[in-house]
Amino acid sequence: MNGLIFDIHRFSLNDGPGIRTTIFLKGCYLKCDWCHNPESQSFKPQLSFNPDKCIDCFECVKVCPTGAHQIQNEKHFVNWDLCDVSGNCVKVCSTGALKIIGSDCNVSELISEAVKDKKYYDKTGGGITISGGEPLAQFQFTKELLIEAKKNNLHTVVDTCGFADKDHYKGILSLVDLFLFDYKFTDDEKHKKFTGVSNKIILENLDFLYHNKASIILRCPLIPGVNDNEEHLNGIKALIKKYPLLKAVEIMPYHDMGKDKARKTGMAYKLLEIKNADENDKKRWINYFKNNDCNVICN
Amino acid sequence: MKSQKFQTELLFTETYKKHINDHPAIREAMCLKIQYPAFFTSIQNGDLFAGRIKNTLVGITPDEWGSTAFGYYCVKDKILNDLEDENIDDETRVKVLEMIEFWNKESTSAKIRAEYSDEIKKYLPSDDWMHDHGIAFPLYRMTGGNVDWKKLLKKGIPGLIKDAEDFKAKAQTEKKDPEFYEGIIIALEVLIFVCNWYADQAIELKDQTSDIKRKNELQEIADTLTIITKSAPKTLREAIQLFWLYSYVGDIRNYGRMDVYLGDFYVNDIENGILTEDEALNLLQSLWKLIAARNTVVHSRVIIGGKGRPNEKNADKFAMLAMETTRTVHEIEPQLSLRFYEGMNPALMEKALQVIGEGRTYPILYNDEVNLKVMQRAFGFDEKTSEQFVPYGCGEYIIDHQSFGTPSGVINLLKALEVTLHNGIDPITKKINGLQLGNFKDFKSFDELWNAYKTQVEFFVRMMADQEVLEYKIAGEHSPYLYMSLLYDDCFEKGNGMFSGGIKYLGGTLETYGNTNTADSLTAIKKLVYEEKVISHDELLKALDSNFEGYENIRQRLLKSPKYGNDTDLADEMLVTVHEHVCNFVRSQAQRVGLHSYLVVVINNSANTLMGHQTAASADGRRAGEPMANGNNPGGGSDINGPTAFLNSLVKPSPFIHAGAVQNMKFSREMFTAKKDILKSLLETFFENGGQQAMITVTDKNELEKAMQEPEKYGHVFVRVGGFSARFTELSRDVQLEILSRTLY
Repeated sequence: MNGLIFDIHRFSLNDGPGIRTTIFLKGCYLKCDWCHNPESQSFKPQLSFNPDKCIDCFECVKVCPTGAHQIQNEKHFVNWDLCDVSGNCVKVCSTGALKIIGSDCNVSELISEAVKDKKYYDKTGGGITISGGEPLAQFQFTKELLIEAKKNNLHTVVDTCGFADKDHYKGILSLVDLFLFDYKFTDDEKHKKFTGVSNKIILENLDFLYHNKASIILRCPLIPGVNDNEEHLNGIKALIKKYPLLKAVEIMPYHDMGKDKARKTGMAYKLLEIKNADENDKKRWINYFKNNDCNVICN
Repeated sequence: MKSQKFQTELLFTETYKKHINDHPAIREAMCLKIQYPAFFTSIQNGDLFAGRIKNTLVGITPDEWGSTAFGYYCVKDKILNDLEDENIDDETRVKVLEMIEFWNKESTSAKIRAEYSDEIKKYLPSDDWMHDHGIAFPLYRMTGGNVDWKKLLKKGIPGLIKDAEDFKAKAQTEKKDPEFYEGIIIALEVLIFVCNWYADQAIELKDQTSDIKRKNELQEIADTLTIITKSAPKTLREAIQLFWLYSYVGDIRNYGRMDVYLGDFYVNDIENGILTEDEALNLLQSLWKLIAARNTVVHSRVIIGGKGRPNEKNADKFAMLAMETTRTVHEIEPQLSLRFYEGMNPALMEKALQVIGEGRTYPILYNDEVNLKVMQRAFGFDEKTSEQFVPYGCGEYIIDHQSFGTPSGVINLLKALEVTLHNGIDPITKKINGLQLGNFKDFKSFDELWNAYKTQVEFFVRMMADQEVLEYKIAGEHSPYLYMSLLYDDCFEKGNGMFSGGIKYLGGTLETYGNTNTADSLTAIKKLVYEEKVISHDELLKALDSNFEGYENIRQRLLKSPKYGNDTDLADEMLVTVHEHVCNFVRSQAQRVGLHSYLVVVINNSANTLMGHQTAASADGRRAGEPMANGNNPGGGSDINGPTAFLNSLVKPSPFIHAGAVQNMKFSREMFTAKKDILKSLLETFFENGGQQAMITVTDKNELEKAMQEPEKYGHVFVRVGGFSARFTELSRDVQLEILSRTLY
């Protein structure tokens, strides 16, 4: 079985315990305004252009069927709206400036890549992490991956935004050793405004997983000036009190490295201009939870 | 007035001439009498042991004093340079010029070159591997000897003299040649003379200083020197003093299993209140500083740990002290190396990682599990003997005071490929410097090119093997290298010098460079020229010959081609193929030329950089003159799949067909602090997977500055943020710089 993935990372240390291989699936129902993997949102392959690597040879201009690659002031310019992702340009691009993000990958290919590091996983309690995008948006593929991973005795983590069909969580529950479950906004109106969807289903799924004894780390991206307000911090606190058996709660300070990828995929206009979380922000957040007797981790 | 300069060199030369027809042992011994203590220099403030040396311009040594200067040597260029000093009188000047003329024919390396076949003369015309263009170059030296320090410390000078007298008498009654022993006795008397000379000096210095503490130290140095002339050492201080002076007179630059030969002295001194821990540390710190001041750079190995230590407990204690010394003395020498094994006291590895984590690079880690098998499979030693392996120099292995394997040549595999692609012509000098096996475009398949490359390499390897044997022969005929032979198994008993039939196992090694670049180039050529045909033969040659100027698109394609170090089959298999070919072919020469072993070493020094300067642009995308990859490592920045992939690639080329390979790895400081457990597991798994060795550095500020200039060469840098997907090399420059500024500390 095949699925659409946009990256695979070995020696991943921050997406679950130990040394891991993270498989990033493409496509997400949420469109968060601060998304650090903006190229993961679309369910289709898309073009990426890195101007730093472009040597203005214009080979791509010659082979583009839709005129997306253009010359402006003797410089290469991409008109993103015209691109139909034919991939012709990538074949002639010698420098790797052009790439297609998103490729069809086979479950067995991915698993055989992942098992190369099995000894490292076993030594450190690591394994594979399925991330995205939203893994459950490609439910069957994710399930297959998990089944094959389990056949190979790999520890499994699913990194989810929580927005998916409850039955899908049910379908993978027994195959997942740990969920990394996102929680982004307490106020549902703001949740809708900044992510595009309501948090109602997300909270129901969290409740469902919790009561079905799933091992869960709640991951809370904190975006300065967007969701790091009293109301949301209180909301996180409330969840911690409500679900005392959560394995951990992790706050994830915003970083803006995703903007670089947004620019390269013509999506820059979709992201908010936000400053990076600094040490003071982190301190403030950590102190808040400390003062409220909540244990949180922050890497 | 007659100038004092060059008097020792002239006297040395006169002495040699006087004894030119004497037994080589007598000739050497008489020359040593001139050489020492003349070439020793004074004890410096802070030294707790006597023994520093100045540069010597004419002398006798097994190891090298500059390119081609070994055996009986004369450093001609330096002398000619010094002759310009106007204070040198005419009479001396004439004598010095005559002396140079004499050594031009009589030095050991001149004698070797005189014996070269026409073929060697044609294809190995130069000895200047640092500056000339060539596929292979001979090296002139008998390097890497690890002597039996235990024997020295057990017997002491008087005990060794007594042994030599006994053997001399025995040889006389048996009507055998006693002169070898006569030479040994003279050499040991020279050592006594040196001890006394330094003892007098220490007293003189003591009288000159008003510092009470220093007065006491100098008195102690003098007393120690006197004691070791009269009896075997009993304390750590005496043992180190004797060891240190002997290492100088014998020019022995690798210090072997120090925890074995000093461990008992150390523990005994502590237990009997002769030394406190602090005093012991001070002594070792002083030794480390003297080793650093000796500045042998590619030598100075101190081995700790490992199987086969009879005094394991005491040796472990010494090993801990040695690591603490390395942690506290910030010098690039000695090259402290820890052999580790299953069942080793875990405190040693803990300490090792602490010292490495502080950025010391040492100890270099050696995995007994793999290396004992290397000694068995590659060299053919039995299991017990293999336990006594020691890495020396840049990373070659031998059996402690039993075997020898001086690297007597370097081969630049990338140059071999370059010359093969140009039908025997060096594209930089336009001169023929290899076999002419056909034009690149006439190689219709990749296999034809591969066969031509193999033929080229094999042709040079054969010559290098012949050269190694010749070098041993001449070196052995010229001199017994008395100090070294005395402490090498069998030589003393047989009454022969090491290379005159004395040594038990005489092997050889060949240093290969450019292995990774050659493999990556072949991968690119195979894929892009022969399989995908996106670059033509002509285009590739033009691009390489113009150093990619006007061919940036071709260079980019070559750079994008799969590279070794990413745990991908295509590139790693090519590396393995290149590795197995050269290792196995070199190995096959041992029998033909009559060596116990003849093996490749894939080592770590500056040769990859220096020879890279003379190597044209290569098909892996490397520009002309840029360094080649070091040791067994991927090219700079081309390992982009992370450390697990990198380490998995490293274990693919077999360690069982060569005499040592070096793997460098770099980790950020964070890996030694917040991620310490991960690092430990990473290394453990690497070694369980068959990792042979690891030289670990911590990325530092200097590195950061370099990375800022060329972020594309730092593909191994990590972007570690939960859930974030990005490869360093794919990020925009400003983001790369931002990450480097955070990650590399």
